[in-house]
Amino acid sequence: MEALKKGRIFTISDLQNVRISIGEIVEEEREWEPMGPTPMPSISTLRGWDFTLLNRYKPFYAPFCDMCCLCTYGKCDLSGNKKGACGIRMDAQHGRIVLLACLVGCSAHCGHGRHLLHDMIKKFGGDVPIDFGPEVDVEAPLTRLVCGIKPKTIRDYEKVFDYIEEQIVQLADALHTGQEGSYMDFESKALHMGMLDSLSKEAADIIQIACYGMPTSYEGGGPDVPLVDVGIGTIDMTKPVVLVIGHNVPPAADIGDYLTENGLEDKVELAGICCTSIDTARVYKKAKIAAALGRQLRVIRMGIADVIVVDEQCIRADILELCQRVHSPLIVTNDKAMHGLVDRTDDDADKIVDDLVSGRVPGVVILDPEQVGEVAVKTVIQMDKKRKGLNLILSDEEFTYYVNDCIQCGNCTLACPNGLRIGEANQSAASGTIEPLANLFDLCVGCGRCEQVCKKHIPIIDVITKAAYPQIKEEKGRMRIGRGPVWDSEIRDVGAPIVLGTIPGIIAPIGCGNYPNGTKDAWLIVKEFAERNYIITLTGCMAIDAALWKDEEGKTVYEQHHGRFDAGGVLNIGSCVSNAHIHDAAIKVASIFAGRPLRGNYEEIADYILSRVGACGVAWGAMSQKAASIATGFNRLGVPAVVGPHGAKYRRAFLGRPDLKEDWKIIDATDGSEVYVEPGPQDLLVACETVEEALPMMAKLCFRPSDTDRGRSIKLTHYIDLNLKYLNAYPPDWHLFVRTATDLPIAKKAELLKKLEDEQGWEIDWKMKKIKEGPIRGYDPSFNPTNLKRLIREKK
Amino acid sequence: MGMEIPFDVANIPGPEMGEVAPPEVIGNYISSAKRPLLVVGSEILRDDFFLETAIEIGKKGIPIAATGHSIRGFVEKGYTENVSYYNLHELTNCLRDPSWKGLDGKGNYDFVIFFGIVYYYASQMLSCIKNFAIDPLIRAVSIDRYYHPQARMSFTNISPKMEEGYKDMLNRLVSSVK
Repeated sequence: MEALKKGRIFTISDLQNVRISIGEIVEEEREWEPMGPTPMPSISTLRGWDFTLLNRYKPFYAPFCDMCCLCTYGKCDLSGNKKGACGIRMDAQHGRIVLLACLVGCSAHCGHGRHLLHDMIKKFGGDVPIDFGPEVDVEAPLTRLVCGIKPKTIRDYEKVFDYIEEQIVQLADALHTGQEGSYMDFESKALHMGMLDSLSKEAADIIQIACYGMPTSYEGGGPDVPLVDVGIGTIDMTKPVVLVIGHNVPPAADIGDYLTENGLEDKVELAGICCTSIDTARVYKKAKIAAALGRQLRVIRMGIADVIVVDEQCIRADILELCQRVHSPLIVTNDKAMHGLVDRTDDDADKIVDDLVSGRVPGVVILDPEQVGEVAVKTVIQMDKKRKGLNLILSDEEFTYYVNDCIQCGNCTLACPNGLRIGEANQSAASGTIEPLANLFDLCVGCGRCEQVCKKHIPIIDVITKAAYPQIKEEKGRMRIGRGPVWDSEIRDVGAPIVLGTIPGIIAPIGCGNYPNGTKDAWLIVKEFAERNYIITLTGCMAIDAALWKDEEGKTVYEQHHGRFDAGGVLNIGSCVSNAHIHDAAIKVASIFAGRPLRGNYEEIADYILSRVGACGVAWGAMSQKAASIATGFNRLGVPAVVGPHGAKYRRAFLGRPDLKEDWKIIDATDGSEVYVEPGPQDLLVACETVEEALPMMAKLCFRPSDTDRGRSIKLTHYIDLNLKYLNAYPPDWHLFVRTATDLPIAKKAELLKKLEDEQGWEIDWKMKKIKEGPIRGYDPSFNPTNLKRLIREKK
Repeated sequence: MGMEIPFDVANIPGPEMGEVAPPEVIGNYISSAKRPLLVVGSEILRDDFFLETAIEIGKKGIPIAATGHSIRGFVEKGYTENVSYYNLHELTNCLRDPSWKGLDGKGNYDFVIFFGIVYYYASQMLSCIKNFAIDPLIRAVSIDRYYHPQARMSFTNISPKMEEGYKDMLNRLVSSVK
């Protein structure tokens, strides 16, 4: 049956006993760009590109568990890369587990986006235009790139989600016993899932930006977005406090609307944790960000919130128990996380409020976001009165009792993800020195496993909070609200310096708070690279945690640095779903600056980014399955990522081998000649043990074959300098990135030439101060690097 | 010898778990290696003693891969003779490849000693070695103050209260490495 086109006449006459069913009417759109080769790719469409990546960055597996427990043949012991009863080897099984993690992560973003679309169509209708202002013409780079669709209204995302959901099901099918058996193909599928994850994020953020009027390139948007208060110390606890947690903003937005409509903005605090708080700040100007995910348990246990409203993702599974402990009613607003509560969506608001305030029920489910505002606000005002005088911070006497009661058995340390020496700190506090215990507050990832194993039943979380409370009360940071898309005009200004290397890189701190050594690392990463004129694009919990620390002048990194997508800029792009705009910025460099076709042309754009756009993600506290799919999505697009040491538990890395020359052979698209290049970027996914190691690693992962000599010189300067600063040594591989003497940092040129001669045996023309022999390749300004034979212009 | 709880209590990989062994046994085991490699991490910087211990092992002719930012300590001590910086992920990736040329260009190693590396990161890398560096086999031991079930041999968990005892164990281990 041919599709019906809008505006065409469709005549039916003289029919009897015929039922006519009209499905979708296809609106014929003006050709905005010729369709590329791979619109809406299926599992195998981009397999060739994946294998190009996987052959260079071979999957590395570090099993978390040696067994497979997924079917009734098992358990199977796969240790030593043995096969299980179904024939799957350890390596393929771990490719399968990675695909499963990416499936869960991608489903979370896709499910969130679809849910949001339903709610927004119900609230605003499907015709909400996607218009991000005069500086953003390419409004949805991933949607155009992957789907070949230029979305005009939010309804256009129905097709996008249909595509993503169909692919997710096909990929989930591949996980079943007796399906895929190759780790390489599992990884190709994981990369496909990662790409779908990126697309889901973009869809979700575009829908909420369009519907809620979140910042775009209209006045007050982009670099000019306002600052928002961050930190527990910014919350006025003399007022009723609503605490929102999660990722899906409509319920929180409705609370903000209700407060505004009823003139209660200055009488009730609306604070949040995790990405919902970031997105709430994009729609409600009085919102405050209490903390990132890592402090969820502790913020709740402090008893700050008079009502807690959760939506989806990154909510503690024991949220109801926690709320009951601190006498805060719980309102859950999403059918994906209902916590055993009764659905009261259709009940009268005042009746629900009465039940919550009286304590007849500990919480309720309200699935219509437009009913949440009234219930939450009416409840919080009454609960505030009821909870006045409730002090959940330990008294001095209680604190002293508990630290003295600790027998230093070490059970808490064995249960702690970071192996924190809590007993030692308790002992120190018992003898009058509280500082070690107070310091644990920031190092703790806030899981609470320690309390469950304490033989003395010490409320360890509360004890640490008590020790740190004087500092917690003063925790007052500032952060730019999430700005959403990077503007096309900004890309036009910086496209050349990024590709040529004179802006040394884009560093993207993203994701969760499972840090190895506290939140200060997030701040240090941003500060170090911003001061070196990299562009810093943050999202999610790292964006929040980086705002908690200040320099000597008392300024946060957001106050210290401008918010333009330009050298030295520190941009809060937004929540987890907003980090699609970081992919988008890289894509726009390829399409807007370099003029590469965008529509349905994934492989070419990814190839361009891998070879020319010096960007590096850093998920220093990556914890969730979403973080796995996010990183994998970045990787397929040609963007490497660094994770913290906990990231090694994702079981898989993508690591290059500089010592294997053949792995680094690429093509000069100008004439088709094959060129051995330096390992840039060396890895696609790698863990570092400490932030001191991660800083130079990020600088290294910004090298690209396309760097000009001036750009390479700047990148080498930072790479060497960061190594000297944090590792106290030259990097052992710096010479690999030298192609010509003009690649060398000018201030150290003679010294470095001498090192090349002495340590690497290179031949130097000292009279001309030039390199005669030694580098992997010489510098060719016309070099046009690609990994795709089809892009060769003229075959040699 | 005996069974022990992993330092991260739920880190139980499966049927194949490493033995807890005293310093002399591990020292003798190291001495049996043809091409051993000492892999150190950032935790050796927490006390000069641990850095000195690594250097003593290095002086016995065992090359050192300094991961994390541990290289900093060796440079400050002026000991760089057989020490190279390597990222632990990248190093382990090389170790699982029999054709890797090693830090000195003479080939891969048959034995690795993990020391001073953040527990959970070390555990994952030991897992990779156990499961994939199998032909030829690379034996891996840990001499940290944690029980590492992914290593073939490891010390037991050692409480901070027993820090001096741990230092004594390291001294005994170094003495027994021939």
